[in-house]
Amino acid sequence: MNATKHEVLQSNYLETSYFHDNVDSSEYIIEVKNLEKYFNGFKAVDGINFKIRKGELFSLLGPNGAGKSTTIRMLTTVLKPTSGDARISEYSLKREKNNIKSLIGVCPQENIVFDALTAEDNVEFVGRMHGMSADDVKERSKVLLEKMNIAGRKKPAKTFSGGMKRRLSLAMSLVHQPEILFLDEPTAGLDPQARRIVWDFIHELKTTGMTIILTTHDMAEADALSDHLAIIDHGKVIACGTVDDIKRSSDNGNVIEISFFSREELIKAKQQLEHVDSVKQIICGENNKLTISFAGGAKGFKRDILNRLESFKTLHFREDSLEEIFLKLTGRELREN
Amino acid sequence: MKAIELQTIQVDAKAIQTVDAKTVRKNDAKAFRAVDSKALHIAKKNVKEKLKNFGQMFWTIAFPIMMLIVYKLAFKDDDGSYIINGLTVFSMEFPGIVVYTIGISTMTSAVMFAMSKKDGTLQFIDTMPVSRGNVFLGAVLSETIFMNIQLVIVFVFGYALGAHFELAMLPLGYGIAMIFGVGAIGLGLIIASLLKSPEAANAFGMLTHMIFMFVSGSFFPMDHAGVFFTPHYWVKQVFLQLTVVGDSFSDLLYSCSIITPLSETTIFPIWVGLIIILAFTTAFIALGIKIFQRKTSL
Ligand SMILES: Nc1ncnc2c1ncn2[C@@H]1O[C@H](COP(=O)(O)OP(=O)(O)OP(=O)(O)O)[C@@H](O)[C@H]1O
Ligand SMILES: [Mg+2]
Repeated sequence: MNATKHEVLQSNYLETSYFHDNVDSSEYIIEVKNLEKYFNGFKAVDGINFKIRKGELFSLLGPNGAGKSTTIRMLTTVLKPTSGDARISEYSLKREKNNIKSLIGVCPQENIVFDALTAEDNVEFVGRMHGMSADDVKERSKVLLEKMNIAGRKKPAKTFSGGMKRRLSLAMSLVHQPEILFLDEPTAGLDPQARRIVWDFIHELKTTGMTIILTTHDMAEADALSDHLAIIDHGKVIACGTVDDIKRSSDNGNVIEISFFSREELIKAKQQLEHVDSVKQIICGENNKLTISFAGGAKGFKRDILNRLESFKTLHFREDSLEEIFLKLTGRELREN
Repeated sequence: MKAIELQTIQVDAKAIQTVDAKTVRKNDAKAFRAVDSKALHIAKKNVKEKLKNFGQMFWTIAFPIMMLIVYKLAFKDDDGSYIINGLTVFSMEFPGIVVYTIGISTMTSAVMFAMSKKDGTLQFIDTMPVSRGNVFLGAVLSETIFMNIQLVIVFVFGYALGAHFELAMLPLGYGIAMIFGVGAIGLGLIIASLLKSPEAANAFGMLTHMIFMFVSGSFFPMDHAGVFFTPHYWVKQVFLQLTVVGDSFSDLLYSCSIITPLSETTIFPIWVGLIIILAFTTAFIALGIKIFQRKTSL
């Protein structure tokens, strides 16, 4: 039963998704087409589709085990798709993965660093692998490590804290100024201060025209950074668009809370509002408060009820937060049990 | 009517797929062969990693010295009855020590490759525009740097402890040891491909090396035909005859035959022994790369 409700909800989101925008396909730097990945018969990614514009920040949002990392690992050429393909810049993932490698920077979910090397050596190694000269790589690594606040440490990376390794991993993904950057949960395990630094830095990167693909469970992060986002669950895209698109198309996401001076007023108002078509649910709360969920535009609804109500104490609209929408779409049960 | 239509569609799809697979394979083979200066940077990185690794430094520096001292002490009471061609037993065993020291690369390289599989750095390098050819060449280069250090230690300390070898023939012996070393890396690659953890690679690498050492008669002479199937035997014997006993390069190489545990001579001249060593190395490294690639690349 729940599932059907979700399905209805989900189809709403997909309709508003920007697959249907009339955007020329050359604007997209990445087009993922029916990408699938099976692990011994288990479908981790189930025919996923999305498109990413050049220079935008695109987030993949989803619960644990949704298939975000598997998708990223396929796009960054380390995992072979079971079927489907993706176009990255002008190359086919299936046929020309070796050309893709020079375009991308990768910050994997697990901090993959060379434990025995210093931060500097780690960053410089990646730069060298991308064909940078010794001077360029030195200069760039200095800037990046300073930005990430881990410059000047002569100790090997295995002595770093989790947060420091995370920031090192970020610096490593950026040394060669890639055209396309993949960040798999870049701020996981970072404290609020470090997270802000990373967010600011990502904002800065966006101004350079870099295309960034980021996965996260952090709704605030997705909200703050994304131009477009896709919510994925069980290996499928279940919603796609801008944060506003997704919020707007929220089925019963619009809520109005009205409080009254007396119980009588409240009951009278409830009787009147029950007959309004767009009202989906009315809940009588404590302190003479009514919480009304309704469908459709907020403006029209507001006008409508203001006409009907004789008096009230306060009235305010509340939009579903991204987190509430996320939970509605993906359900509340814990994943990967 | 409908069934036929369906069939044609299926055939078409298959045709497209095989063309695709072919292009992919061709592209991949080309990419694998693209070897350039990045191999040097990989080697440099490996060397830095190894220098920080206590186990690695033990096997490189301390272990050869320990081996030499143990052998020296074991044959200290050598009363002359063992002396062959005027050589002490210690000198006769010296090639075995060289084989042991260099053959350890089977274990150290198995650990190195298994580690890069486990900690994700191999896959991480795969996201960069670097061929696997560079990865392998880089590994061989860094391993051989440490083999060179080992060899210098073994020769210097061996000489100091009284091992006899002809100085003029030393470069040849050195070369043989290095070629054997590259084969040992190939063997390490095979082991790393088949095992999941660096710990298992460590144990199994060491075990493989020890088995080869025993079977080849490199620890103490063995008189069975099994020795012929180990590169260790050929290395030890050619090294012994050319570098320890030998004094004249051209005479030895062309007219001398390899002495085997089964008889005083074989039909094989020493140059055939050299070819056999080269063949073992080529086979191990080729097989190692092939299996490792099959197990770890797309
Ligand atoms: N190598 C693998 N072998 C088998 N199953 C795998 C493998 N990698 C991932 N999976 C499975 O595929 C599913 C998707 O995993 P994935 O790592 O892509 O999820 P995710 O969305 O990144 O989750 P998280 O938010 O926890 O990082 C999971 O159920 C996981 O157990
Ligand atoms: Mg993940």
